[in-house]
Amino acid sequence: MKELIVIALCCVGLFFTVSGAVGIIRMPDVYLRIQCSSKTVTMGALPVLVALVVAEGPVSTYGSRALLVAALLLIVNPAASHAIARAAYKSGVPMWRGAVRDEPRQP
Amino acid sequence: MHAVFIAVAIAEVAVIALLMVRLALGPSVSDRIVALNTISTQCALAVLFFAVFSDRTIYLDVALWLASFSYLGAIVWARYLERGLL
Repeated sequence: MKELIVIALCCVGLFFTVSGAVGIIRMPDVYLRIQCSSKTVTMGALPVLVALVVAEGPVSTYGSRALLVAALLLIVNPAASHAIARAAYKSGVPMWRGAVRDEPRQP
Repeated sequence: MHAVFIAVAIAEVAVIALLMVRLALGPSVSDRIVALNTISTQCALAVLFFAVFSDRTIYLDVALWLASFSYLGAIVWARYLERGLL
């Protein structure tokens, strides 16, 4: 039963990781790529780490480190994505021509 | 159970190989930073799962370091793009 849960969580995480990587390659614009990158972490890395916690137990050596890595990723990755998007906008990276709104530029 | 862990680690490395395409192609610096940020996260996961697979606790520190300090590169590059050197 435990193994089944672990394998299912790993499959979910790897599916979202691969789809996020494909999105980073195929999206037309840096801002859309940033969105795919955050999906890779939130939906891809967290289920895999939860699978590790389920397999090893939350107070074991490996499970506790997996929980720590998950907490760090949850705190750090949105901040980094935000900083990259802001820097890209300020340094004048153009949006995709299909973009419909440019909110920071409106008065 | 150990087969699952090494399979996850190998899959993360394969995803890193996919992301290298964007790192090489990326038209602007920001694209490369996004790819690099994602690659470092996947690296941390791969090292973590390899640590569990090979049962060596010393690799756990590598994974923890990668997960906690990988964002510094992205932050420094973002600051450089925004305001220039220094």
